[in-house]
Amino acid sequence: MTPTVLIVDDHATFRLTARLLLESEGFRVVGEAEDGMTALRKARELGPELVLLDVNLPDTDGFDVAARLTGSEDGPMIVLTSSRDGADFGPLIERSGARGFIPKAELSGERLRALTG
Amino acid sequence: MTSLRRALLGIGVAGFAAGLVAIALVLTSDWSRDDRTANLALGPVIGWAFITAGLIAWWRRPENRFGSLMTLVGFTWFAGALALSDTPGVFIAGVMLGAIPFGVLIHMLLAFPAGQVEGRWARVFVAVAYFDVAVLGPIAILFSQTHGENGCDDCPSNPLLIANSGVGDVLFLIYGVVAVFGLIGVAVILARRWRAASPALRRTLGALYLTGGATMLLTALTFVTDIASHTVAIALNAVSVVVLATVPFAFLLGLLRTSLARAGAVSEVLTRSGDVRGALAEGVGDPTIELAYWLPERKTYVDRDGRTMDLPEPSSGRAVTRIEHDGRCVAAIVHDPALNEQPGLVKAAGAAAALALENERLEAELRARVEELQASRARIVQVGLAERRRLERDLHDGAQQRLVALRLQLRLARDRAGKDPSAAQQMLDGAMTELDEALAELRELARGIHPAVLADRGLEPALSALAGRAPLPVEVRSAPEERLPAPVEAAAYFVVAEALTNVARYAQASRASVAVERRNGHAVVEVRDDGVGGADPARGTGLIGLQDRLAALDGRLEVESPTGGGTVVRADIPCG
Repeated sequence: MTPTVLIVDDHATFRLTARLLLESEGFRVVGEAEDGMTALRKARELGPELVLLDVNLPDTDGFDVAARLTGSEDGPMIVLTSSRDGADFGPLIERSGARGFIPKAELSGERLRALTG
Repeated sequence: MTSLRRALLGIGVAGFAAGLVAIALVLTSDWSRDDRTANLALGPVIGWAFITAGLIAWWRRPENRFGSLMTLVGFTWFAGALALSDTPGVFIAGVMLGAIPFGVLIHMLLAFPAGQVEGRWARVFVAVAYFDVAVLGPIAILFSQTHGENGCDDCPSNPLLIANSGVGDVLFLIYGVVAVFGLIGVAVILARRWRAASPALRRTLGALYLTGGATMLLTALTFVTDIASHTVAIALNAVSVVVLATVPFAFLLGLLRTSLARAGAVSEVLTRSGDVRGALAEGVGDPTIELAYWLPERKTYVDRDGRTMDLPEPSSGRAVTRIEHDGRCVAAIVHDPALNEQPGLVKAAGAAAALALENERLEAELRARVEELQASRARIVQVGLAERRRLERDLHDGAQQRLVALRLQLRLARDRAGKDPSAAQQMLDGAMTELDEALAELRELARGIHPAVLADRGLEPALSALAGRAPLPVEVRSAPEERLPAPVEAAAYFVVAEALTNVARYAQASRASVAVERRNGHAVVEVRDDGVGGADPARGTGLIGLQDRLAALDGRLEVESPTGGGTVVRADIPCG
């Protein structure tokens, strides 16, 4: 089974690298978004099973986007990511409804599967 | 001598001559020889006093018609002296002109202090007064015999007599009734104006309204009592003439009191209480005055607490008088515009308090400085915070992102090294580019915090490096070869850096130049460009941040940027 992924990050380099990495580890990247509004739209249009969501976005933050995406019953699973450390965000990750958090430098298919089961 | 002075002197000489003619008439008059002493005592004095006081008022405020009206009272008064002549023609002309000065006096009183008659009723009464004394009175005389039963025993006959009949009596009755009502009306207007006046205006109006009003009422009373008793009326008339004589003196006294005595009063109150504002308020008779102290360095006025104060516009209903001490502006007094009716009053009072004002100005300057320092300190903290936020964001968005990507690329390359060595190599190339970018960004960031070359080698190489990195040709025209104190060097460097950043961003310039020179223990930094100008130092946070940085060193920043004329950013930093 190949899980479908939407990558949301405002840094093009990261999106590109994450796509290469995840595709090489058996995921299918169905789309990319560079801000929160585009993320919400593409999640609706593409219906990915998983959204890899950066916390710091130019228009809104990842916690907001996560809360809106997980609001509906059949919404995608969310995994938050950031170049900052997860501990920097305190209780916000848990409250956002996301499955969990992976620091960008530690991103791998294995970590993603561990969180999304 | 100015033409005004020449003209006034000419009028004065004419007035003096008119007085001499009047004296000659008194002395040669046969019919009025019984009253010669009284006529000699009062006649010339009243005329000359009005003319002198009028000319003084005229000279002080040439644009105000009040002075000319007062002078005219004096001349018309002398014209009335023609009635003392024994020649019937001259005599009757004098009789006809005899009441004119009262009309002019009413005009003068109602035109005080503005010089123009303001208010509909006031204008009506001035018109009625002139009609009564210049038309009704002379017509009545045409129907009255001056010699004999109805006139006086020794007077010449009326050469213009049309008919000595009841018509004359009726006309005189009308003349008297109009005069009485007119005079009472004028007195009422004066009283109402007095009631409505501010304390400052009352001081101006005071003496003149009192003596002028008293003359009005006494003259009205003379007319009324004349019906009952001619003797009492003559006595009352004498009193009213004496009071009339005091009018110009009251005016002069008011002037003297305000311009000389007030200054003395200010010093006196100052010695007693030390309260400058209170002393000036008392001195000029305006409890509403405000003081604004001039700060020449900032080119603004501040209040006593050192807070910036805008002086009111001329149309705002407040007036401003600037006070100098040793040729320098010290303060401005904001006051009731009525005080301008006494020119020199506020200036004289201010001059008396100039030393005390200068002391308060220094205190206000100190407070303003403390206030400015507090504000600048708060801004330095804010700028510091903003800088740290920017630094965090730059690190996060720049080098950190690149290092993250690098970490992922390296892992991908490692995973593929065995299966697909050429793909792995490609990824390693990408990773190296990423690393170069990260290094460049870190270098730029470190330079922004504090350039190493500045700390190690001083301004000249640091500025040259800055010029070399700018996106347009920048010439470093001069820079001190010796080292300056580190904070001064840093401030100078960042002024140039910020100015060049602005040139690159906004100025559309083709070239720029940088100069740092030592002048009298100051470092003077100048960045010029040939761009579009129109830069507003208040717009960017960059320049305000610099201003605070400079203020901490007692330095200052100026921006000259006429539209289309390029921009010059100039900083002056004391070298401690």
